Amino acid sequence: MHLSSSDYHLNGPAVADLLFAIEGLSFVYPDGNQALTDIALSISKGDRIALVGKNGSGKSTLVKHLNGLLPLQSGSLRYREKKTGPSIQSVLRQEIGILFQDPENHLFCNTIFENVAFGPMNQGRSRDEVEELVRGCLETVGLSHLMYKPAHLLSYGQKKRAALASILVMKPEVLILDEPTANLDPKQERILKELLAGFPGTLIIIDHDLLFLYDICERAVVLADGRIHHDYSIRELVSSQNSLKEHGLDFTFRFACCGGQHKPAPTSPHQHYHFSHDHGKNGAHAPAVPEAPILELQHFNYQYPDGTIGISDINLIVYPGETLAVVGENGAGKSTLAACLLGLNHGEGYFFSKGKKMDCRLHRALWRQVGMVFQNTADQLFCPSCWEEVAFGPQQMKLPAIEIKERVAEALHSVQLTGYEHRIPLHLSGGERKRLAIAAALSMHPEILLLDEPTASLDPKSQELLLKILEKLDMTKIIITHDMFFIRNLSKRTIVMHQGRIIRDYPTPAFLADKHIQASNGLDYTYKNTCLEEIMDLQRNHTAAAG
Amino acid sequence: MHISDGVLPTTISLAAYAATALGIGLSLKILRQEDLPKIAVVTSSFFVASLIHLPLGPTSVHLLLPGIVGALLGPAAFLSITIGLFLQSILFQFGGLTALGANAMMMGLPALFCGFLFRAIRGTTLLTNTVAGAVAGGLGTLLAATILAGFLYTSGENFFGVAKLALVAHIPVIIIEAAVSAFIISFIFRVKPEMLHSAPRQQHGITGHPSDHCHD
Amino acid sequence: MTEILPESRIIIHLSVMASIWLTSLVVLPVALLTAITFLRKKKTQQKGQPDWSIPTLDNHADRNSFFHNWNPAAKVASLLLYCFLIVSLKTFACSVTALVISLFAVYFSKLPWLPSLQRLAAMSGFLIMFLLVIPFSSREQPGETLLIFPLLSRFPFHLNGFFLALTIVIKACAIALLMEPMLGTSSLSATLQGFTRIGVPVPIIQMILLTHRYIFVFHQEMVRMQRSMKVRGYTARTDVLTMKTMGNFFGMLFISSYDRTQKVYEAMLCRGYKGIFPTFHTREISGKDLAKGGIWIMIGLVLLLIERLPSAP
Repeated sequence: MHLSSSDYHLNGPAVADLLFAIEGLSFVYPDGNQALTDIALSISKGDRIALVGKNGSGKSTLVKHLNGLLPLQSGSLRYREKKTGPSIQSVLRQEIGILFQDPENHLFCNTIFENVAFGPMNQGRSRDEVEELVRGCLETVGLSHLMYKPAHLLSYGQKKRAALASILVMKPEVLILDEPTANLDPKQERILKELLAGFPGTLIIIDHDLLFLYDICERAVVLADGRIHHDYSIRELVSSQNSLKEHGLDFTFRFACCGGQHKPAPTSPHQHYHFSHDHGKNGAHAPAVPEAPILELQHFNYQYPDGTIGISDINLIVYPGETLAVVGENGAGKSTLAACLLGLNHGEGYFFSKGKKMDCRLHRALWRQVGMVFQNTADQLFCPSCWEEVAFGPQQMKLPAIEIKERVAEALHSVQLTGYEHRIPLHLSGGERKRLAIAAALSMHPEILLLDEPTASLDPKSQELLLKILEKLDMTKIIITHDMFFIRNLSKRTIVMHQGRIIRDYPTPAFLADKHIQASNGLDYTYKNTCLEEIMDLQRNHTAAAG
Repeated sequence: MHISDGVLPTTISLAAYAATALGIGLSLKILRQEDLPKIAVVTSSFFVASLIHLPLGPTSVHLLLPGIVGALLGPAAFLSITIGLFLQSILFQFGGLTALGANAMMMGLPALFCGFLFRAIRGTTLLTNTVAGAVAGGLGTLLAATILAGFLYTSGENFFGVAKLALVAHIPVIIIEAAVSAFIISFIFRVKPEMLHSAPRQQHGITGHPSDHCHD
Repeated sequence: MTEILPESRIIIHLSVMASIWLTSLVVLPVALLTAITFLRKKKTQQKGQPDWSIPTLDNHADRNSFFHNWNPAAKVASLLLYCFLIVSLKTFACSVTALVISLFAVYFSKLPWLPSLQRLAAMSGFLIMFLLVIPFSSREQPGETLLIFPLLSRFPFHLNGFFLALTIVIKACAIALLMEPMLGTSSLSATLQGFTRIGVPVPIIQMILLTHRYIFVFHQEMVRMQRSMKVRGYTARTDVLTMKTMGNFFGMLFISSYDRTQKVYEAMLCRGYKGIFPTFHTREISGKDLAKGGIWIMIGLVLLLIERLPSAP
């Protein structure tokens, strides 16, 4: 069932445009790990390749060969008819641009200008040329206004684009991207997609997000255990559910349909449960709601010390046991709101927790009530073993040793990590680390669990498992996410944030039907769904043909 | 604690500068050029770590870290510490540019010494490594405090009182530093032991470890 | 009450009122420094441990002043030499003059005052120790004045020692105040390139730039880690659990930086790095730049000479 390589090339571009010809390439790391075995691959000018496969399948090792970062051990690698060797290594590094996952690694100079200018200056261009190139490039990625800013003042999406600019400025023949969409919100992702669509050269993209790949790439190279398992068109890849499953890429579990009509959204009247203030003259207050909430914010504001407004006039009621999805573009105030609920930020306004008005003492104890799973697990896991990681919270709560033991076992069990007690968190896979972070929050028995982008940069298989685990947890959950599928399957209610305010608060089906709000927030879900449906059609046809 | 500008006599600060320059020159000689960027990146994390304060009763102390830098960087420690101190003085005025030489000697020499000592006694088990970490951490701070006192002693009789006080004030820091260093080393030994085998200079040249494993 | 002893020391026993007055005179500068420190802390931290958020040096490098228009190499070289001349001063009067000159320098550099004040605050701990310890512990000299505070008769307050400590503090402040005009008036990379002209090896300067860049990255990483520790109930105490947690925390920080080293190096290689950061030839040092440097060195030398020349009989 595995096609051998180069089937795709029978009717591919002419051989004259051949860039890379790889034969019998193998690579063994010094620690004995056989990363690549007998790779045969040819890449032509203008190819747009999706390089996919499980973690550890050798994708990064392969691309590091392409741009001369790793020396050739066995086999042959020819670039433009030339054999690679020390002489061609510098050519490779100049002509093959590679964008790593973390943009910080590319931004090693102090200002954006210096960063982008680093490459052309190394190419020995004159000052005027460099200046012109850098300006042009920053213009393309839309960062001209930040040219002389130090890199640490940029947002994540901007850093990503600055890193891309610093590579594009060298006019690479081939552009390799390692997980380009990781941690990007839909809007940034769309900007990146447009930039890539406009790139004239050859593209090689490593990613888990098949929807993103399907849109940009034409060809799919699937690696497994250091070998090429498939090399065919991306249409063939996505239409074959079996091979997707085999390589942990099956995302069809997330088939979500979001058709429906645009409905007028509910307007600003809001409800309070606790009586804390008189109703305004405009009568914006709806009648008080009947059920006792676990948490309520009324006219809640938070301003950062530097004067930036984080959130303003937030009215939010959370009922016990419900699951709430929070959506909004980056910078809409979702994380600020989370920090307020956690007691990390001291906001102003009315804040009730289980019927009690928030005061300083309650505020300090908020962490006992609210558990948090941050977006980036690297920020959260810092213990030498999983057991210690999960036990950290209960230890800080000064619980008796026996109870700590029970809680750790229970928390690990609920995220299906039983048996991982002595494993080292840093060595776990992305999905396992995410589940461990959830366990670390669960062991403190929070009443509310806050999750910030739980699915970001997880592979589809881990996402599926995560979904099952979250479905089983019966505590109150607040999930900040861009992931339409998770919203649909987990939450009954969705709130939409925009520029620090809650602009919509309605049942999830209403949100899913609300194409207008999705488009205006840069939450480009409808488009993704069109793609998805297209893929589903392909798969159905494929199965029908096979059957 | 850093020596500020204007404290030491000019002759001593110039002599310390000369010694530091010699140390830097030697470091550049023995280190491979391609390792310099790597040492610079690791230095940033030491810099950031030295900004963290730990509570000590009613006050708080921050760690000096010479021992741990020595243990992790070995021969590159002197260079790393000098760069860190330079940045501390230009960004925060901790220490000062004219006293940079003296501060570099005060922190750099203990780091080098503790680095060699750590490698000599660390053994192969978690326990011996942890103990070696504690020794390096505590001794590093003790030596730094001693050199600080020494600098003040040579500056004149009027400084004897300050010198003694500086020594005494460092005693709690030595204890905390030893304890935290022990925990740092035991953490690294369990999680990433290859980091203790060598400085990043011999890390994994260009044939790095399979970074495929690190992907999320 | 004053008594003159055979060794010709002057010992002044202070009344309670007098000692309060005198103490407040000493305490005043100390209190000022502490107040600045406090203000600074209040600004940057909400609660808990001090957050020395990392300042950006060259925020105002695009202004226009005596210092901004000065070639960075010439500026760094002459001001550094000037600083060494100031360190060599021994008398109180000359140090105060240097302090006044530095104050003028900050004024004419058209930079905001706050960063300069923060620099003073950062030194305050070390310098306060000098002000408090040296006067009580310095060696007796013939002809000196001792103040005896009520209740502290065993520890005479040496006026000589006090002026020695005060001179040190003032010299330190004079130099610290010069740092903003010296380092904050050109872009950081231009300033640091200036250091290569005075003999600092190029690789060192490049390492400093790299370290500077990644300080911000790791600082953000650290802040995020601290937040996540806080929501899991971590509060720093003086106990073993805290030290263990800090050990893990530092260990994690070092490991993440160690992992990053290789990736940054590869990213540099991919952009044509061959062991040297490329730079364009910087502006030549003009006669005007040299003249500016000459003025500063002259000022320093004059101060030193005034002090060292035998005073008129």
